[in-house]
Amino acid sequence: MNPDISLLVSKIPPLKKGGTRGSAILSFSAPPFFKRGAGGIFAPVLLTTLILIFSLSGCEQHPRVFQQQVLALGTLVDISLYDVDGKKAAKAVTAITNQMEVIHHKWHAWEPSKLTLLNKRLARGESVNLDPEQQQLIQKGIDLAQRSGDLFDPAAGKMIALWGFHTDERPDDPPPPKEKITALVKAAPKMSQLKLDNGQLSSPNPAIEIDVGGYAKGYAVDQAIATLHKMGIDNAIVNAGGDLRAVGSKGGNPWRIGIRHPRRPGVLASLETHGDESVFTSGDYERYFMYHGKRYHHIIDPRSGRPARGATSVTVINKDATTADAAATAIFIAGPTQWRETARNMGIDQVMLVDDAGVVHMTRAMAKRVHFEIDPPPQTDIVP
Amino acid sequence: MSRADKLVIALAVLLLPFLYLQFWGNHSRGEVVQIRVAGGEDMILPLDRDKTIKVAGALGTSVIEIRNRQVRFIDSPCHGKQCVLTGWLHEDGQLAACLPNGVTVQIVGRDNQFDAVNF
Repeated sequence: MNPDISLLVSKIPPLKKGGTRGSAILSFSAPPFFKRGAGGIFAPVLLTTLILIFSLSGCEQHPRVFQQQVLALGTLVDISLYDVDGKKAAKAVTAITNQMEVIHHKWHAWEPSKLTLLNKRLARGESVNLDPEQQQLIQKGIDLAQRSGDLFDPAAGKMIALWGFHTDERPDDPPPPKEKITALVKAAPKMSQLKLDNGQLSSPNPAIEIDVGGYAKGYAVDQAIATLHKMGIDNAIVNAGGDLRAVGSKGGNPWRIGIRHPRRPGVLASLETHGDESVFTSGDYERYFMYHGKRYHHIIDPRSGRPARGATSVTVINKDATTADAAATAIFIAGPTQWRETARNMGIDQVMLVDDAGVVHMTRAMAKRVHFEIDPPPQTDIVP
Repeated sequence: MSRADKLVIALAVLLLPFLYLQFWGNHSRGEVVQIRVAGGEDMILPLDRDKTIKVAGALGTSVIEIRNRQVRFIDSPCHGKQCVLTGWLHEDGQLAACLPNGVTVQIVGRDNQFDAVNF
């Protein structure tokens, strides 16, 4: 080997995976031998070309995505905006945060709010005059509950409270006594029993306590996307504690979404969004307590009055987030035997359910979208 | 063969392993740790440098440890300690979050980055 070339070899730092892209080439200066001999001009030209190529490949890795996390809705909200200047982006983040905080405080299920006041008055048998937003959201709850065959039941706030999930952190205390659960299931609080006429709401069933926790997050995400559109921002993701709506793209490249593995810290599958889509996941790992080695999570089946069994997570894709939120809950409760029928009734054709044995049940439309990120991929059951 | 020809050949041979890693390398191993705090600046740290970091969140201080190409929450001022229970993260895309404190920790690879994670 020519001694000059071996000099060159020793000058190049090791190409270590994990270093900055292209930096290995960029970081060494031209060795003195370039100044000698016939190839003296050609070599720097070649090097410059290489440097340009690698710096270009570095550029495409940094799309113009502005990302900001904020605390709102009692959770972590992640806002991603594509190609928006810093000033406008900051304005958008503030607008969304404020809007979500208003929704959170107005609809809070256990801290004193307009909703807790409404529930108190309903329980006393009073007829309550609703503001336009209350009418809209409660009417939406009545419709979604009906489409889900009452599996999605925002009238069953007392069940959530009985299980102790009307607190920020539920301690690992025993589950509630059987008699109390049975009594509530018998009292059968249902959204369909509510009477909403000309903005007046009344309830014939004192067991009804409205809890919008199953779809208010979706509603808040829908409102946030509407706010962004009004500001002229059409390429964005609003991810509220892991449930999101994505609109537009990253300059033509689709947004890439990872779906969490229900039993591991990593990602189970990924998908790309197109146009305007919400991706919502309901899982038994989100809020739960352990008692005698058993997991008791927050998604209560109104038929049994107990945490729904059979599924560990359900992911749905749908345009509007409010429906996606309610559907993910309803399909989770429906479980591995009834999920398809419930999804159909709610107008959802892209669903994935992971059962408690780790088998992934999917509609054909969903199977076309997801790419598994675990090796080996899970066992799947794909249905039309 | 002139010196320039030899140089071109040598450079081409030298570039091969680099290109190989670039396009066919094992991309499942994470590269950097991304720590994000609500309302704050993102922090990017190398995964191959052991370090313990304290991050000020909404409730207090979250303590995050990087060791042996893995990262985890050691402590956080929340009640449920879901973030701590998540344990070590070691692969691309793995995420641990302390939602009450507004702190997330994620391993981010070169090509495997997600714009958002559904959980």
